[in-house]
Amino acid sequence: MKIVGVLVVLVGWLLPVVGLTITQSTSVRFVLALLGIAVTLFGIMGVLNKAHLKNAIWKA
Amino acid sequence: MTSRMRMTICCLWVAICLMLLCGFPAFGQAQAASSTTTQAAPPPAKPAPAMDAPLDVKAAQPPSTDDLTAKGDPGGTATGTVSDVVAADSKKGLTLADVVNQAGQNRIAINFVWTLVTGFLVMFMQAGFAIVETGLCRAKNANHTMMMNFMVYGFGLFAFWVCGFAIQMGGGGPYSTLGGAYPLTSEHVVTLLGKPWGLFGTHGFFLSGASYDVGVMVLFLFQMVFMDTALTIVTGSCAERWKYVAFAVSSVFMGAITYPLFGNWAWGGGWLSQLGNNFALGHGYCDFAGSGVVHAVGGVTALALSMIIGPRIGKYNRNGTPNAMPGHDLLVVLTGCFILAFGWFGFNPGSTLAASGNGALRIGSIAVNTMLAGCTGSFGAILYMWIRYGKPDASMTGNGLLAGLVAITAPSGFVSTVGSAIIGLIAGVLVCVSVEYVERVLKVDDPVGAISVHGTNGLWGVISVGLFADGTSNYGGSWNGVSGSVRGLFYGDASQLVAQLIGVGTLIGVIFTISYVAGWIMDVIIGQRVSAADELEGLDIPEMGALCYPEFALQMQRGVPSGGVAAD
Repeated sequence: MKIVGVLVVLVGWLLPVVGLTITQSTSVRFVLALLGIAVTLFGIMGVLNKAHLKNAIWKA
Repeated sequence: MTSRMRMTICCLWVAICLMLLCGFPAFGQAQAASSTTTQAAPPPAKPAPAMDAPLDVKAAQPPSTDDLTAKGDPGGTATGTVSDVVAADSKKGLTLADVVNQAGQNRIAINFVWTLVTGFLVMFMQAGFAIVETGLCRAKNANHTMMMNFMVYGFGLFAFWVCGFAIQMGGGGPYSTLGGAYPLTSEHVVTLLGKPWGLFGTHGFFLSGASYDVGVMVLFLFQMVFMDTALTIVTGSCAERWKYVAFAVSSVFMGAITYPLFGNWAWGGGWLSQLGNNFALGHGYCDFAGSGVVHAVGGVTALALSMIIGPRIGKYNRNGTPNAMPGHDLLVVLTGCFILAFGWFGFNPGSTLAASGNGALRIGSIAVNTMLAGCTGSFGAILYMWIRYGKPDASMTGNGLLAGLVAITAPSGFVSTVGSAIIGLIAGVLVCVSVEYVERVLKVDDPVGAISVHGTNGLWGVISVGLFADGTSNYGGSWNGVSGSVRGLFYGDASQLVAQLIGVGTLIGVIFTISYVAGWIMDVIIGQRVSAADELEGLDIPEMGALCYPEFALQMQRGVPSGGVAAD
C-alpha cells in the first residue's frame, strides 16, 4: 500500500505539469492544478497515512 | 501736402529707421530665444570630462584638516566628503573614474552589509527554534531536543557547503545586487515536452575554484541560514522518539539534496521559476522569502518523517483518541517565539539581497508586512482558541504568531499592508484548525505543531501570493525574467495563481515523496525510532548520556515527585 500511495502522490503532481503542455487555457490549467493537489493529498492522507496507521503503536 | 505734414512724415521715417537699426537685433534675439524654447535646439556640445583626467577637488570644498583636528565634527557634516574618496593613482590625483568606481562599490557594499546582517539575524533564529521546541517537549527529553537543534546547524551547514549550495544556486546567476556572483551561472537543463526544464545547478561545490568569490560567499551565508531553518522544522515534529543517528543522517540528506532541489526550482533559475517565460503563467512561481522553499519544504518533510516514525507512546489511546502531552516550559516557548519574530526581520527584508538599487527600498514595506502578519496571526489563534475552548491558549498563540510570519514570508515583497494583515489572520486560524486535524483525524503526532505552522501555512503563503500580490513592487523592472510587477488574482492576473498552485503541487508531490522514500530507506537500514524502553525513560540518558535537568533526577531518587520527570 505504501508504494501505491507514493505512486498516487506522484500522479497527482504530474497532472498539472503535463497539463501545462496540452492546453494554453488558464481556466483548464487552474482546474488541473486543483485536481492534482487533491489527488496528491489523497495519496498522502488517504493511502500512505492509512497504511502506517494499520500497525500504529497505540493499536498494539 | 503742407510742409508741416512733410516734416511729420520725415520724423516718422527717421524714427522707424532708428527703431529698425537699434531694435531689430534685440527682436532677432527674442525670436531666436523663443525658437529655442519651442524647437529645443541642442545647446553647443560640451566635451565630456575624461574619466582619467584629474578632478578639481578644491571645488568640492573639502573640510580643512586643521579645523577638524582642532574642533572635531560634532554635527557630522564634515565627515565623509571628497577627501574620503580614494584615488587609484595618488600621483595623478582623484579622477572621475575613481568617483564612479567608488559609487558602484558603495552600492554593492551597502547590499553586502545588508545581506550579511540580515543573514546573521536569521542564524539567531536557530536559538528561537531550539527553545521553542525544547519548551514544548517534556523535561526528560530536553537535552536530546536541544542537541538536535544545536547540531542540525552543523550537519546542515556541512552538507550545504559540500553540494547543497551548488545544486541550489549554481545556475541562478548573475546576481546583480551582489555585484554579479558570476561563477554561479551553470544550470543543468533537460528538454521535455518541447520546453527547457532547469533541474539543478552545477557550479559552487565546496565553494572552490571560481566560486571563491566575495559575492558568492555573501549569497552562500544567506542561503545557508535559510536552509538550516528548514531542517530545524523537522526536529520539532519528530521530537521525543527520534534516534539521534537517524536525525543526523536525515539532516545531512535534507541539507544536501531535498532542500537544494526545490530551492533551485524556485530561486536558482529552475523550472518552477521559469513557468512565466515557458508557459505564460504570470511571473512563474513566486516565493519572495521562502514560505514554500523554506517552511513548506520543512513542513512536508516533517509530515513524511512523523508518519514513518509514528506517534509517541501514550499519545493515543487504544480507541484512537489523543491525549494532551504538555511541554515543560511555556516561558521559554514564548521567549523563543519572540526571538523568531525578531529573526524574521532578517528573513523577509533580507531577501531583497539589497538595500540599494533594484527597488530594494521596499524593505520598509516588507518589514511592516512581516510585523503585521505576525500580529494578526497571533490574533487569529488567540481568538479561535478563546472562542472554541474558553481560554486564550499560550502555546497556540505563539504558534499563531509563527503561522502569520510563515504565511507572509512568500508574499511579503509583493503585497500591501491590508493584504498582509488578512494573510496573517487567516494563518492564525488555519494553524489551530490544522493542529486539530493532524492530531485527531490523521493521528500523526507532532509535539510542537511544526507540520501545521510550517507545512500548512507555508502552502497558504505560497497560494496567497497568487491572490494578494498587488502589482506595485518593482525589483529592477522584472521578476523571474518576466518584465513588470507580480499581480495576483485579486489584481487581475489569474495565471499567477496557477503558477503558485503548481508550486504547491510540487511541494506535496515531489518534495514529500523524496523525503518519504529517503526516510523509509533509512528506517529499513538504521531504524528511525528509539526503543520503547528508552522512550519511556526519556531520551536524555539513553541517547545523549546526560540529563538536561539533573536536579529533577535527584528528587526522583529521593522519592520526591517533580514537575518534569515524575509527571511522565
